[in-house]
Parts: sequence; structure tokens; C-alpha cells
Amino acid sequence: MIAMMDCNSFYASCEQVFRPDLWGKPVVVLSNNDGCVIAANKEAKQLAHIPMFEPVFKIRDVLVKNNVQFFSSNYTLYGEMSQRVMNILETFSPEVEVYSIDEAFLNLEGMGHLDLQRYGHQIKDTIFRYVGLPVGVGIAPTKVLAKLANRISKKVEGHDHVFVMDTDEKRLEALKWAKIGDVWGIGRQLSKRLRNIGVFTAYDFTQLSLAWVRKEMTVVGERLWRELRGEPCMDFTIQPKSKKAIGTAKSFGQKLEDLERMEEACAYYISEVAEVLRTQKSCASYLQVFVHTNYHSKVDRQYSKSIVVTLPVPTNNTFSLIVEARKALQRIYVSGYRYKKVGVNLYGIIPQQFVQGNLFEPPLCAGKSTLMQTVDAINNKFGKSTVSSGLVGTRINEWELIKKERSPRYTTKWNELLTIE
Amino acid sequence: MEAIQLGKIEKPSDCHAPEVSKQTGFPSAATHYMEATIDLNKELSRHRDATFFVRIQGQTWAKLGVKDQDVLIIDRSLKPHRRSLILAVDEGSFVLHRMGDVLGKEALVLWGVVTYIIHRTV
Repeated sequence: MIAMMDCNSFYASCEQVFRPDLWGKPVVVLSNNDGCVIAANKEAKQLAHIPMFEPVFKIRDVLVKNNVQFFSSNYTLYGEMSQRVMNILETFSPEVEVYSIDEAFLNLEGMGHLDLQRYGHQIKDTIFRYVGLPVGVGIAPTKVLAKLANRISKKVEGHDHVFVMDTDEKRLEALKWAKIGDVWGIGRQLSKRLRNIGVFTAYDFTQLSLAWVRKEMTVVGERLWRELRGEPCMDFTIQPKSKKAIGTAKSFGQKLEDLERMEEACAYYISEVAEVLRTQKSCASYLQVFVHTNYHSKVDRQYSKSIVVTLPVPTNNTFSLIVEARKALQRIYVSGYRYKKVGVNLYGIIPQQFVQGNLFEPPLCAGKSTLMQTVDAINNKFGKSTVSSGLVGTRINEWELIKKERSPRYTTKWNELLTIE
Repeated sequence: MEAIQLGKIEKPSDCHAPEVSKQTGFPSAATHYMEATIDLNKELSRHRDATFFVRIQGQTWAKLGVKDQDVLIIDRSLKPHRRSLILAVDEGSFVLHRMGDVLGKEALVLWGVVTYIIHRTV
């Protein structure tokens, strides 16, 4: 059997652990730069229709009127709390697949002697006791069914956030309950197509012929069809998937016009992503830089442009990347616009040891690589951006994110601990 | 390209290399007795995933031996016993209590058990 654990409104719950005054109250979390709502807890969802990904300035009044507490996103906190949850899960199964920041699959194979209903409750109760986060657990014979069981544990009354699909009757009942759009892996387009041919529930889908599914939905559809019928087709992937692309793009705290500031922002983002590359010992082959103005502004003239450059040699060296990014930015920058965002993406990620040099460019010259190691060591010890390229500049606050309502980083910063009077 | 697995982030090892002496002269008699230095993080937080640090502001809890600016180490995995100092929530605010003094008070919600009080003396 496979268990699927999922934290209930994870971001909002992380905030509430340290704010008992907000227990049972509506809470929402805003995206980077406080642009839009990315998470809302149950209470907030019940109170008012809060459209996700809607710019916050459009719904601010609704939030304030309903006494909804809002937070800027505090990814440092969420990431650390997630790590705790995953560590705890590892005491329940030797195979834990971390699916996202707040979801994981547990392989319960060979644990048939256990009372799985009780085991599910133990998982849920332990996580709540250790870190204060509410979670739901669904247990079923396959991953797709476990995901469905998890949904049922939360949505159907009386399950108390644990649901074990251990008989065929329960499986069929669940399939008939689940709308086709709720099935893991069936997107909006696909579910529309399926509804058009009379497939409204997961059960209807399993009644289609395998030949049709294979023809219309390829092997992906076939896997889904088999999994829903209780036949496991998806393996456990314990190793995290290698990233195919790494990128970062954030809106400026204020709109920027001159190239120099944008170069600084760009250089800063490059140092962030290059550090990610180095921690996973990989190099990037292509670099993309893009800029755009504020789509929502009715008064500003609009402009957006992106450019991809092939790097002379795949690299993870911040300084080489900044030089390339700067050249790229200069090519797409047009003066006279008020820019809202600049972003960088790195593609063609390959392991460091596979990098080939060419006649004119030796791969990662040794001196530079030692320099990067030293930079990383200093920044690890004394905090982000203690040492950086001169191009990053010192005016970070002009374009750095607005994080007005960010909560303290309770678990990672000694001077931001939870304080009690 | 898809099949390539990138290595996991390597954790720094926390022990010294006891068998390798870096001294060039007479080898140290302690060479084979080297052990890792005491790691307070390990000693003072037994259940790392359930441990949180909390700073106290003001003298409200002085009668419990908790002074201004003390840092409490809280272990949420422990079950409190009568003598335990606990951090609890009373109607939305954090409070400190001896477990024995509040037994049967239903409005209190346990947040965690205080395992150590770090008091700065300089």
C-alpha cells in the first residue's frame, strides 16, 4: 500500500503555528513582492470568495473588511518546516518520495500486518504534535488512488483526515465520488474533452476501453487508467529529479527606468541561481534574460522582451554568468519604459564533471572555481550577499522585493525567534 | 539529458580526522584520542524536528525562573509530567506554567515542554 500525506493549507498553517492569536481565524499568504494571494486557509476560503493569483490591490478591500490576516511569503520558514515534516515521515517508512513542499508519498509495502487506519492516524498525530501542522493522509494500493484517498480524507465528512482505501468496495465508491477533473494528472483541457464524451467521474474513466485510452491519451493515460483500477504503474522516485532549468524573476519593489539599476538586479539574481547550480554541482549551458513592464498598469507604455544566449562553455561561475547576462540585458533594454520585472533562467543544466571545454575556453579554470568556493563559504557564514560581484551594487533596497508583512524567520534566525512577553 | 541524476548536496562531516596528524615534528600523544568537539545543538535538542527556540521578553515569568532575554528550548515531542515547565496557549496568547499547577485546566492548549533555559550572564 502507498500513503499520500499532504499538509492542510501549508503556508498559512506554518504562520499560525507561531501565532496562536490567529488559530481558527482567516489567513492568506501573498506571493513574492506581495503581488497576489497564493495561499488561503479554510477559514479564509469560507469567509469570502478569494480568487487565487488575483493581484492583491484588487481584493485588498475584501481582505481588510473581513479581518483576514495577510502575510508576505516567508519561504525560509516554509522550507524549514517542510524539511521537519519530511524527516518525521522518514520514521514511518524507509521510502519517502517528497512530491512537493507539502506533499509526500510513503511506501508502506510489507507493512500489511499493521492496522493502516491506526498507522495513518499515527502519522497525522505525530506531525501535529512535533511541528503543529495539520495534515491529511490517504492510503491506497496505488499512487493515483492514494492521492484520491487523501482528497477524500479531507473533503468527505467523518474521515477526520485519514482515509484507507483497503477494499474494492471502497475503491469503487471513491471512483464514483471523484469528478474526472479531480483525478491527478487530468488537466482542464483533458477533463473538458472527457466530459464531452460522457466521462464525468473517475469511475466512468475506468470503464473506457484500454485501447481508446491508449490511442487518445497515450501511455500517460494508460498508466492513469491502470492505477485507478488498482494496478500500480508508478515507481517510487526517491532521488530528487534533476532540474532542467533554474530561474528567478521577481517584480521590482518600485518601477525602474535606468539600465544601471536593472543590471544590478540582474546581477543579483544571477548570483542567486549560480549558487543553486554550485550546491548541486552542475553547470548551465544557456542563459535567458527577460524584462517586462507592468501589465496591469493602464498609464504606462508596455514592453517585454527576452533573449537566450549560448554560453561559450557551460559554467556555474557567478562572474562569468554576470558578464554574459549584462551583455544580454543591454541588447534587450530599451530606454523610456518603466520596468516592473527582470528575470534570468538557466537551461541545459549538466553535471559539473561532464563539462567540455573548447580550444579557446578551458572549462572552469581552476582559479575562478576556488574563488567561487570562497565566496560561497563567506556568504554561508555571514549571510546572503556579504560578498558579491561589484556589479550587484549596494542599492539593493531600490529594487529588492517588498515584503511588508513577512513574519519572522522563527526557525532559522537567532535574532528573529518567537518572542513571548 | 533527462536521465542525468545530479548528486545530492553533501553534508559536511562533523568529525575530525583522528588518524591524521598535521604536526610535522614529534607526533602528538593525543592523536588516537581525538573526538568531535561537543555540539550543543545535538546535546540540547534530542528531537531536532520537534525542537523550537523561544525568546522571553520582560520579567513576567521571573517567578518560574525565566528572566528577560532568556532563550527557552522547547521540545514538542515530549509528554509533560507534573514538574515540567510548559509553554501553553491560553485564549490565543502564550503562557508559561508548571504542569502540576494547571492540571485539569481545559482551556489551556499545550504547545511544548521546556527542556532548557539559556540564560546569558555577560
